[in-house]
Amino acid sequence: MSETVTLPEFKPADYKTDLKPVWCAGCGDFGALTGLYRALTELQVKPWETVVVSGIGCSSRLPGYVETYGFNGVHGRALTIAAGVKVSRPDLKVIAVGGDGDGLAIGGNHFMHAARRNLDIAYFMMDNEIYGLTKGQTAPTTPAGDKTKSTHYGNPEPAVDPCELAISFGATWVGRAFSGDLKGTVELMVKALSHRGFAFLNVMSPCVTWRGDDQFKTLKAKQRQLPEDHDPTSRPAALAYTREKEFVTTGVLYEVAEPSFLDRLAAVKVTALAGKPAPTVADVIRTFQPSF
Amino acid sequence: MPKRDLTIAMVGAGGDGIVTMGDVLAQAAAREGLNVLKTEAYGPQIRGGESSSVVRLSADPIYESGDAIDVVVVFSWADFARFKGEVMPAKNAVVLSDDADPVARTPEDLGLGPEAVWIKVPFAKLSTDSGAKGSKNLVGLGVLTALFGLPAATLRRAIVHRFGRKKAAVGEGALKAFEAGHALGQTLPPMPERQLGYTPGPPKLLMSGNEATAIGALHAGCRYFAGYPITPSTEILQFLDEWLPKMGGAAVQTEDELSAIGAVLGASFAGQKAMTATSGPGLALMTEMLGLASMAELPCVIVDVQRGGPSTGLPTKSEQSDLSQALFGTHGDAPRVVMAPSDVEGCFHTTVDAFNIAEEYQIPVIVLSDQLVGQRRETLDPASLVHAVRERRLPTDEELTNYSRYKETPDGVSPMARPGTPGGIYQTNGLEHDESGRPASLHVLHERMNAKRYRKLRPIRDAYTFHRRYGPEDAEFGILCWGSSKGVVREAVRRANARGQKVAAFVPQVLYPFPKNEFETFLKGLKRILVVELSYSAQFYKYLRTFLDLPHERTHIFKRSGGKSLTLEEVDAEITALLAAERAEEKVSA
Repeated sequence: MSETVTLPEFKPADYKTDLKPVWCAGCGDFGALTGLYRALTELQVKPWETVVVSGIGCSSRLPGYVETYGFNGVHGRALTIAAGVKVSRPDLKVIAVGGDGDGLAIGGNHFMHAARRNLDIAYFMMDNEIYGLTKGQTAPTTPAGDKTKSTHYGNPEPAVDPCELAISFGATWVGRAFSGDLKGTVELMVKALSHRGFAFLNVMSPCVTWRGDDQFKTLKAKQRQLPEDHDPTSRPAALAYTREKEFVTTGVLYEVAEPSFLDRLAAVKVTALAGKPAPTVADVIRTFQPSF
Repeated sequence: MPKRDLTIAMVGAGGDGIVTMGDVLAQAAAREGLNVLKTEAYGPQIRGGESSSVVRLSADPIYESGDAIDVVVVFSWADFARFKGEVMPAKNAVVLSDDADPVARTPEDLGLGPEAVWIKVPFAKLSTDSGAKGSKNLVGLGVLTALFGLPAATLRRAIVHRFGRKKAAVGEGALKAFEAGHALGQTLPPMPERQLGYTPGPPKLLMSGNEATAIGALHAGCRYFAGYPITPSTEILQFLDEWLPKMGGAAVQTEDELSAIGAVLGASFAGQKAMTATSGPGLALMTEMLGLASMAELPCVIVDVQRGGPSTGLPTKSEQSDLSQALFGTHGDAPRVVMAPSDVEGCFHTTVDAFNIAEEYQIPVIVLSDQLVGQRRETLDPASLVHAVRERRLPTDEELTNYSRYKETPDGVSPMARPGTPGGIYQTNGLEHDESGRPASLHVLHERMNAKRYRKLRPIRDAYTFHRRYGPEDAEFGILCWGSSKGVVREAVRRANARGQKVAAFVPQVLYPFPKNEFETFLKGLKRILVVELSYSAQFYKYLRTFLDLPHERTHIFKRSGGKSLTLEEVDAEITALLAAERAEEKVSA
């Protein structure tokens, strides 16, 4: 008796377009992109049933490099577009990507509400702590005191931790990865893509051009894995790994099972119909005719 | 001889039940098959505060609230004063006021003439005595019914329907208040010449422009709505939130207007017909992504129910001053289509057409409604809500081999693959892109793609030529207006024609792409042109001048700020004055 071995239908190269990334040599986003190719391969996601949505920024160029349906929108609005895609087409796998400026500054409000709704998408934020595309200005994640092109005398603003925000906004899956750690990034992307609800992955993605070689080295030196006994269902335990100074802790910080936005919308439909057949437009119009 | 047309205004404080009174009256009249047009006005208070409801009933078709109010029911003169200049009794009006009102008014300060009738009614006392305390409004309906020959049996059914649905006893109590008013009314001197005369017909639909817009969207196949509450468009969000989940769709209240338009574009990209609704401030926030819709060629419908502006402006009152924003609000060269309904039925048809254009030509379509049309209620014939629906062009199997999302075509429309389709994969972009959708910034390509996107406007202009024209073919005096101004202009034309004046009016439904041929045909042979609009800076006039040769010496503008709708009196006076001036000029030159 012989065993049949089914070969996977899709290889990493199948998720790759022939468009050459505009990123600088050594950009951390290459790691995130390769990680995404591999994660999609691992999950054997059908390219034509997947939509990658982004805003504006270096990392937001990513949809063009992935052989799935893609939508490179406008600055800060990736999550709004992703919400429209997912709610109107629950059958599609929807991934939002972008940078820290895109998602935390101009798009911060949408980040809060997508997380709060527990929108059924994975959101990968490539975080380089700087504005790269506009050539080196401060971002919400730039550490206080850092000199950038728009903070000549040192950044007067404290930085935010995107994972801390995601947890407090109500995201049901929050992880941190380092794009220099490809294996870890792939693992976390696979987990995020398998989560039901809003999965937020903060991918530390160094900018060689505007943050120098130091950023990569520092991240590499500071990276540590979550301890084995970390309880990801505990909010305080998860928050203990945010706003860290000495370390960059990677892994699944937080994960809880809660009804997703689509689950709740499906329940709304059941309540609305109350066991009755779906009305036609003619039925709707009839409600405007005096019935007494 | 009985009247075929009766306009009744009701004014009072919060708690007087003015809105309910107008509703019940309008419902009963619609049930009788009468034509009804109902408008409401409120003070700025969230709850309570003064309100007014004006209901026009007619055996003949009506196009606008009557200026001349035949009957005014005033529960409180203090509240009446807050609608100064908005609720104007006719010289010969019948005024019903509460005899317990501490504020004294005289026929002179209301501008009433000798034929006017003033009756003081103990509304509050009758209500309390009937056992239905706090039902002045129903007492009022009873008095009105007796005095003006309104259909008593139908009104009783309307009252029971309204109040007795949950508790029969509440309905009975309400009826007692109505009967108390009705009995009093029958003791008053009859006014046979003021009775409403009509033949009952089949029941009519009674709906608001915002409701008609939402129904138009449902009819067109819209199954995704995202919006943010904003006066005076919010009813569209609320209506679709009630119905879309039952019809396999979804309505989402987003965190802001940016998110609303983003979600609509996402849904559209995913293959769903999608819409948002807002008012001027919301359209301002949506403008960036309007450009994205234009660039990425995403079908979408944006309804702007205009209010007074700029900034927060006059949130509850109408104006036609978002025109420039809708037409030109953009960075870059961003083709869009701008349409304007001019009445409640038009809200339905314009919205279906907006979807048809958006889907067929992959372009954003703005529907410029306004508070006046959006929030007033009109009766409609159920048979009038019929409109063909068109669909988006999907790629054929052949087109899917080597698929190019933005392939150049003679009419500029390229087949749009729906995610989920193998072979249709593409990445869309707010960046300029080549035919396959890839980012590109070569100037030659930018020129070509701009041309492709603008090319779509021509077939739209040629296919969607719907406009309204009123008045004789050999008119010498022509009025140009748009949107809700149509109502008064149409009535003014009718009045002028009745005087033997050769006046006509032209009202386009599509504002952009500009219907140049239709305008020019109308303008041919006109001696005088009058542009009528509710915009202080005359946005419509200025827009017309970019496409049409409107000679200064023969073109007049009648414009003012919104906050109060155009009245038949003021438009009529303008026509009369211009025609008189013309005659005077002719005399001088002769």
